[in-house]
Amino acid sequence: MTGPNTMTLLSRRTALVLLAAAAPLAASAPARAAEVSPDQATDFIGRTGRDLMTAVNGAGSTQDKAAALQGIIDRAVDVNQIARFCLGRFWRQASPAQQQDYIDLFHRVLVQNITGKVGDYQGVTLVVNRATAREDGVAVTTTVTRPNNAPNRVDWLVSNESGAPRIIDVIAEGTSLRLTQRNDYTAYLGRNNNDVQALIEALKKQANGQPAG
Amino acid sequence: MPPNDCRAASPPTRPAPLARRMLPMLLCGLALATLAACATPPPASDPDAVADFRETNDPIEPTNRVFYAVNNGIDTVLLRPVATAYRDVVPEAVRSHVHSFLVNLGNPVQLINDVLEAKPRRAGDTLMRLVVNTTFGIGGIFDVATDWGWPDHENDGGMTFAVWGLGDGPYLFLPILGPSSPRDAAGFASDFAVSPFSWIGVGTVAQALSYTKTAASAVDARANVIDALDKITSQALDPYATIRSLYRQHRDSQIEDLRADNRRTVPAWFPAAAAPGPTPAPGATKP
Repeated sequence: MTGPNTMTLLSRRTALVLLAAAAPLAASAPARAAEVSPDQATDFIGRTGRDLMTAVNGAGSTQDKAAALQGIIDRAVDVNQIARFCLGRFWRQASPAQQQDYIDLFHRVLVQNITGKVGDYQGVTLVVNRATAREDGVAVTTTVTRPNNAPNRVDWLVSNESGAPRIIDVIAEGTSLRLTQRNDYTAYLGRNNNDVQALIEALKKQANGQPAG
Repeated sequence: MPPNDCRAASPPTRPAPLARRMLPMLLCGLALATLAACATPPPASDPDAVADFRETNDPIEPTNRVFYAVNNGIDTVLLRPVATAYRDVVPEAVRSHVHSFLVNLGNPVQLINDVLEAKPRRAGDTLMRLVVNTTFGIGGIFDVATDWGWPDHENDGGMTFAVWGLGDGPYLFLPILGPSSPRDAAGFASDFAVSPFSWIGVGTVAQALSYTKTAASAVDARANVIDALDKITSQALDPYATIRSLYRQHRDSQIEDLRADNRRTVPAWFPAAAAPGPTPAPGATKP
């Protein structure tokens, strides 16, 4: 049993998990060396939000929608950078082969978690509010509303590090997706002798749809 | 307080007038204090691990994990099935009114906290919500205040203590109550002490109503997060650590929003010359 605070917190978590999916769509922008500007980031999130809604709310089978979502994730989310962040200090300890295995599995699990619940995103609306420069990118603040739910504030952290604007974090009502994930991995590693291979095995199980916790 | 100081981990208990009713809570604190097992800090030779340990700030993690498992057990056999049945049987519209009713019952405590935090606009919102929803909303069954421009916000004793400058301290996972900290546990106790429902009536009926309110709140809250919690337990490698992380981030964000909410109390239409503070922007309206 959990207290009211957890309850609120967990409903934010729902939003977080769901909205990770609202991962927008980047048209193949030309590589830019410069940092992403707030206008660029706002434009990017607005555009990709519309593409997302088109993909989710249109006609077509669940499989088609999941495929469309995966396309959006691949183009608009800097999965590699998120994966590196989530592994934290253990990234340096991993061998190159482990790093590659980890990145591949992280990608598969992320896509699976998002596309597996495609029905949940029906009717979601996203309104872009403003953009704020942060040291690691530009945070675009949006208001996301799901049917029968109070509006949620969701910030999208956009970075240009990969050469085009891409999402590197989703912060729903103050809870950061990548930070939460990193804390989960760090705790798991701490209970498994800080062995990166143990984490990789757990991710393999998750990617194959088995319980890994 | 230092993260690896086990003695600091027992929740502070405040002298409260309702000692008899607060006994269960005091016992919880006592149980934690006596049962608390310390997590073994990593060796100083591994600075990264030490940094992780300090950042996690969960010195009685082994004990916390025991209570986490106990709560999960209670949840599995009791709360989750009840909440699931409630969600599946009762129509959404009815559940929404039940929720509004329960939220309205919490408004007196919220108002007290708004005032203690010196946030007049928040206090005004809560006061108007209480008055409007209790009357026009028929005892709080309908949330008309939100549509009329007095939206709800989150507040509790832990946030009040935070605004007063109290740090959250080490992580606590409390029996029944779930994720917490010494500050938030003290806030919970203070909310209980100031709640009118702890004071009015001492007979069997009042007791029964009070327990019903608590049980209904638990079912209402649990029913709203069935899918979210299922997702965490199925997707996280370490659900305990994930909940710890989410709880802390969420609390920090609530407190940050609270600190940043310094809306003016002078209405925008009031003559600017007579109003202290900055001149309202042209066309400014009540948010």
